Amino acid sequence: MRMMRALLTGFSLVLATAAVAQQGPLRIEITEGVIEPLPFAVPDFVPETQGSAEIGRQIARVIAQDLTGTGLFRELPSTAFISQVNSFQAPVQYPDWKAINAQALITGAVAVTGNQVSVKFRLFDVFSGAEMGNGLQFNGTTDGVRRIAHKVADAVYSRITGEGGYFDSRVVYVSESGPKGDRRKRLAIMDYDGANTQYLTGSDALVLAPRFSPTGDRVLYTSYETGSPRIYVLDVGTVSRRVLETGNATMSFAPRFAPDGQTVVYSLVNGGNTDIFRLSLGNGQTTRLTRAPSIETAPSFSPDGSQIVFESDRSGTQQLYIMAANGGEARRISFGTGRYGTPVWSPRGDLIAFTKQSRGRFHIGVMRTDGSEERLLTASFLDEGPTWSPNGRVIMFHRVTQGAAGRSTLYSVDITGRNLRPVQTPEGGSDPAWGPLQR
Amino acid sequence: MNTGQVISGLGHIGLIGWAFLGAFKAEPLPFDVTAVSVISGAEFDALYAPQSQPETVTQVAMPPEPATEIEAVAPTVEDTLPATEAPETVAEPDPEILPEVQPVVPTPAPDLADSDPVIPNQDFAVAAPDLSTRPVPRPSERVAPEPVAIPEPDARPDPVEQEAVTPDESTEVETTAEETEATAPEEATTEIVTEAEEPSGTMTTSLRPPRSRPTPPVRQAGEAPSATDNADVLAALQSAEVAQSDTQPSAAPAGPPMSAGEKDTLRVAVSSCWNVGSLSSDALNTTVVVGVAMDEAARPVTASIRMLSFSGGTEAAARQAYEAARRAIIRCGAKGYELPPEKYAHWKDIEMTFNPERMRIK
Repeated sequence: MRMMRALLTGFSLVLATAAVAQQGPLRIEITEGVIEPLPFAVPDFVPETQGSAEIGRQIARVIAQDLTGTGLFRELPSTAFISQVNSFQAPVQYPDWKAINAQALITGAVAVTGNQVSVKFRLFDVFSGAEMGNGLQFNGTTDGVRRIAHKVADAVYSRITGEGGYFDSRVVYVSESGPKGDRRKRLAIMDYDGANTQYLTGSDALVLAPRFSPTGDRVLYTSYETGSPRIYVLDVGTVSRRVLETGNATMSFAPRFAPDGQTVVYSLVNGGNTDIFRLSLGNGQTTRLTRAPSIETAPSFSPDGSQIVFESDRSGTQQLYIMAANGGEARRISFGTGRYGTPVWSPRGDLIAFTKQSRGRFHIGVMRTDGSEERLLTASFLDEGPTWSPNGRVIMFHRVTQGAAGRSTLYSVDITGRNLRPVQTPEGGSDPAWGPLQR
Repeated sequence: MNTGQVISGLGHIGLIGWAFLGAFKAEPLPFDVTAVSVISGAEFDALYAPQSQPETVTQVAMPPEPATEIEAVAPTVEDTLPATEAPETVAEPDPEILPEVQPVVPTPAPDLADSDPVIPNQDFAVAAPDLSTRPVPRPSERVAPEPVAIPEPDARPDPVEQEAVTPDESTEVETTAEETEATAPEEATTEIVTEAEEPSGTMTTSLRPPRSRPTPPVRQAGEAPSATDNADVLAALQSAEVAQSDTQPSAAPAGPPMSAGEKDTLRVAVSSCWNVGSLSSDALNTTVVVGVAMDEAARPVTASIRMLSFSGGTEAAARQAYEAARRAIIRCGAKGYELPPEKYAHWKDIEMTFNPERMRIK
């Protein structure tokens, strides 16, 4: 009995101590969340001038398509709206938007004067009942309404996710038409979403692997115009081009700009051996970066320009290597089964995208720059040619379907492997190269 | 020679003499005696010779062969069956009458018309062998015996559960509420499966069923706790409550401390609204600690939500992470969290640490 009382007394003391310790707030740790698209609402932008209603509707649609296309957002249909936005300055009826679970609300207005258009918008966090950032206004011309809408979407995306957008960007690629045995290829440039396609070259010569300059004003590409592959530089504004003098070698290909835009790296076949060279566009000086008897190609600079990742079969199979920008000893970073190729350094600098061929299938994948955390994002009969979005969040590539009628199509996928979707182009497409955000 | 020695010598001599005369002769043990006859070697050989060398038989008389012509005798019922009522039929075929060879008629092609097969109206019980029939499953009812109410339409998945809003016909209000669909929390996954990782159609093993939570022991009816136990426990609890009430400055109900289950309920509720899908990778590397005050209805006071600290990322990333955490707290607390009202003092102020380590993009 005494023992029982002693135990109970001790128990009561423990409770009392716990009560004293309970003075502070309740503390919990949350380690599991959900990954789902964030629901948002974007009513048609309010027309502030006569005849601007259609533009206001068009802008809202482009914004919605941009955001939903990322896979991170989900648009709520206008039929679900409880309150309407009839004035840009009117206070937001948060309860009405909460009721339909809109977590973000985008309101805007458009005014058209002649061919000049002025677009302004605000972004609201509905459940916080506050505006996210300040309102923004963009001025432009009526033929640039889509670009203005892309810029609004970029701002919204950046404010919600915390990383830069990529909607106001362009992609250069090889447009393909005709049957597989007689395919005609020409360079084309388009908005990131496939709109506004324009052709930069004719289809009389085979063209390959276009690459944007860091500022987006020039394009490097390989053409068989003379019968053997040669590298050309094309000015996007004037559509004028010139051959890149790469020496006396018969074949040069796989060019890519350095981040400074003044240096180009490429592969050059000389005496039956393929090595990587760099060329200074300022003085035309070339430097040989690799000296192995194997095939070294597909070089790509790191964002800071200090390193180059490339593919080589020096180990017997096609693998990825990294060397200094001035050449020297290379270290292998890919060690998985299969063959690795077409490496591209992420604009963020943390990942390298690549094409992998393994067990009869092609994959687009990413890995850390030290080769760790390899992750395959796609799998198909033939996936190839990855290119990064300006913010390093999305990868575009081309996929070829099997068979005689196989068609090459551009696709995009999030670096998580989600949101794989085709990019609509007027014809087939291959070898995409994503340009920078437009200014 | 003294007298003792003489007496001893005489005694020993007498004892020895008595032993020789049969004083120790014992009774013989009982035993049986069997007469054994002695035989000579010739007799022994004659006795065992037939066993070691058997006599060779040159001709063995064959048994008489049975008659070659056996009359076919139809087995009588009495031969095969017990004396019960025998079936009437089973006529034995006449072995002398050979069946006529019939040309093989090709089987007509089956009629592929989409019709039920016609079962011939013939009793096969006579000709069919005596085999057991295949078990016939017990017919089951294909239609529920009782009418079932029409199920309600599926609610559209949505993180925030809300009831359907329908126009109220009984009231005459000019601004009618817009009809919206009922929503329910959307099923979401925290695991990212890429196209390359998707299963290729092969069979997968089913998951083990989750272990059920242990149920607390139920006190049997009529089983009363002992008076001693009750008194001591009550006294201990009262003393603890007194000590606790001394430390609570407010008049809010305190109650016992929050149990682990109650904390888990709150944790799960907030987790279901913590959407990290739209966060940048930098924000996913940032852990934020968010403080929030709750009202007595277990709803978060929006103005009280603030970021207390962060770690692992930049300030910009922390701001994004905080915004996502703030949205989670507000959204899922709009109708009040499931918290025990009697313990309000314990959850009046809450610090939530949002650690996205497991949600990071690889």
